Amino acid sequence: MNSGLARQALLLIALAFVPGIGEAVYYRNRVSWQSAVAPSDSVTVMQARAWGDGALWVDARPEEEFNAAHVPGALPLNEDHWNELLPQFLQVWSQVPGKKVVIYCSSLSCNLSRDVARRLRDEAQIKNVFVLEGGWEEWLKVKN
Amino acid sequence: MKTPFFVGILSIFLCTSLRAELKWEQTSLELHPGVGDTAAVGHFKYQNIGKAPVAFKSVRTSCGCTAAQSQTKEVKPGEKGEITATFKIGDRTGTQVKTVTVETDEEPHTATVLTLKAVLPEMLTLVPSFVYWTAGEEPKPKTIMARAGKDFPAKVLTVTSSNPEFVATVDSGDAKGEWKITVQPKQATRAMASALTIRPDFPKTSPHVFYANASVTGPPMTPPAAASPIAK
Repeated sequence: MNSGLARQALLLIALAFVPGIGEAVYYRNRVSWQSAVAPSDSVTVMQARAWGDGALWVDARPEEEFNAAHVPGALPLNEDHWNELLPQFLQVWSQVPGKKVVIYCSSLSCNLSRDVARRLRDEAQIKNVFVLEGGWEEWLKVKN
Repeated sequence: MKTPFFVGILSIFLCTSLRAELKWEQTSLELHPGVGDTAAVGHFKYQNIGKAPVAFKSVRTSCGCTAAQSQTKEVKPGEKGEITATFKIGDRTGTQVKTVTVETDEEPHTATVLTLKAVLPEMLTLVPSFVYWTAGEEPKPKTIMARAGKDFPAKVLTVTSSNPEFVATVDSGDAKGEWKITVQPKQATRAMASALTIRPDFPKTSPHVFYANASVTGPPMTPPAAASPIAK
């Protein structure tokens, strides 16, 4: 009884492989492991810190969180007050246009830094924009 | 062989019939706030259709821009209620998707993810919203394209520059609801900046104001030398 069930299970698994293998052969030039890898837009705390003065830090968290604590020298830039904060950011960026912009929000799960990065790239057409992996939480961990 | 199978089915049936169960009217909402709205509010309605009370353990949002709260801490059998999610629009654009994670003491499904999709009105898009010249570069005029979205029937645009060193003019574009904003610095020998205020004639009573920026940047930076630790 048990060996019969096991045989049937193995048969089903083997059958599932047939279309999978067929597809892999048919689309062999389009499978993901052969595709070009998109340039990463994220950066670790260690990498960003290694840029030293070449990095311009941007805090995408809400105003009250920025006011409580932030990376030294970071500029606030969030979508709650985008129209007010963007000119302030651009004024600083204009003095040092070659700097890499490192944007962070609270943690790995937050999207605020990605949204700000997207708008800086698409709307302001600024290059060298990076999102900090793990955000403020990770920065605190590495700092300590 | 048959007896354990029967007992198993019976226990599943008993557990199902006695458990607490929060039934959501819908777990995703699409909101369409109007021009001038500052927030979008979604109501996720539920009812406890089980035979035991359900307690909320936590209600978390995916973004600081969204606040969510429950009317009560515990929902009795048969009771109805709602989770209210308020999304602060701020200066956001496009379609925004935010989630609210509701944790209860229901077994085995203790967490429910509610999705709030806010389709913000298509107003005026400025591409790019920032033009700049590098110090020493020839101060040639640059163009910002302004396009009115379907929710924004503006007919006239005016633009003013906060810095008289930058000249900004508006011309009609090739299509209806399209304008070309031409920006030019009088000179580009030193770093300077200007905020461009763009005023359409819509909404008639209190026109929505948009902003673009223009700068003459400092000279290009040389690549940073070795790593230097951050102060704090």
